[in-house]
Amino acid sequence: MDPSDNVGNLNHTMEAVGLNDGPVPNGSTGQKDTSPTDMLRIKQQMSNQCFEMAVQLQTGKSKRSCSTSEAERDLPDYVNELERVKTDHFNSTMTLHRMQMWHAIGEKLKQNDLEADALKAASDRCMALCSRIKQLQRESRDLQGEITETQKKRLEMKRLTHEKMKEMEGLTSKKEDPDTEKYKAALEKGRANLEKYKKMAIMTQNVLRGILLACKVNWLDDPQLRDIVMTLEEFPTSD
Amino acid sequence: MSLLKPFSKLPGLNTANILLVESEEQFQQSLADALVEETAVTVNVRLAKSLPLPMENKESRPRIDLVVFIINLTSELSFQSAEASLKYLDPGYFLGKVCFMVTNARNASVPTERLDAVRKLAASLHCPLLFAEDQTPDGVANATERLLTILKVAAGLVPTATALYLSNLTRCTVPPDIDQPSFD
Repeated sequence: MDPSDNVGNLNHTMEAVGLNDGPVPNGSTGQKDTSPTDMLRIKQQMSNQCFEMAVQLQTGKSKRSCSTSEAERDLPDYVNELERVKTDHFNSTMTLHRMQMWHAIGEKLKQNDLEADALKAASDRCMALCSRIKQLQRESRDLQGEITETQKKRLEMKRLTHEKMKEMEGLTSKKEDPDTEKYKAALEKGRANLEKYKKMAIMTQNVLRGILLACKVNWLDDPQLRDIVMTLEEFPTSD
Repeated sequence: MSLLKPFSKLPGLNTANILLVESEEQFQQSLADALVEETAVTVNVRLAKSLPLPMENKESRPRIDLVVFIINLTSELSFQSAEASLKYLDPGYFLGKVCFMVTNARNASVPTERLDAVRKLAASLHCPLLFAEDQTPDGVANATERLLTILKVAAGLVPTATALYLSNLTRCTVPPDIDQPSFD
């Protein structure tokens, strides 16, 4: 009842507007200087209004008995579908605009005037820059590959070093214990003996040196004596 | 008989009309001043304390694109007045041309039940619920921006969006555990 009243009112209003505009067909010195943009805008707004009125009429019409929860469950699907269609439409519009622009640029270039020369120069520069970009990208990719190779090698080296160090550690830790445990006593004894005999040798050397000096023996002439005295100098006098 | 109807008038060229309904009549003034500053679209702001609107202006009133109910959470009267005004709106408005705006939500003296009640109301009517801060100019500017976005869609000035679609995307939902006690 209500929506049809609304539409009735609307029709009435539109008729009134139409009638008012009737008597002044040409040269409307009136208020609205309707440019195409304005006409498109008002068309857009009117189509929006008509769409919304149609929606409202439809809500009155189909009285399916479904609960709100059911409707809520279906709602996201519908919204997704709508979103998908809108995205497609937008993408197609953008493609269309791109094609129109390229067509316009092509037409302009064919005309061969000042602006076309400027366009040509700009597009040549673009091409040069693009090929330079490609070349630089290729170079950077190669360099990146080299870096990766070097890093791999370094990692390999590290791993090998690590392994060797582990081996060494294992070996050194293994070697000490059995030897020291078995031969410790013998080693100690041998060392003590060595010390003792060393001291004895040094003492005898000192005594001999003292005797030679005190008795003023001429050891330079006798070769055997000279050899003995030479060896005396090698041994350290004090430990 | 005194219902406000959404489609009884023609839209104006590049014009959007918004109706602010608030029973305290203070935030709507600053909001109105900020809204008319918009330059891309001619925004006409109508102010009202509550619905139904007086019959005298009926002919000169343009088509209202968006009705905003401003509810101050610190007063119960504000909420009740908004609820009572809802009856005087034609159901056609609830397909995306109604919006609820709430102020003073951060105030400690607000009982949580009132905010829950507002949320349930907005969710049952499938309308967006905006929270606004009315004391600072920044808050007013923010609220204005958001209202303008919704208004432009509701007036049909945005080519790919309709008010119904936008309201589906922005509508208030009530979390399922709203009846359980909160942390304080």
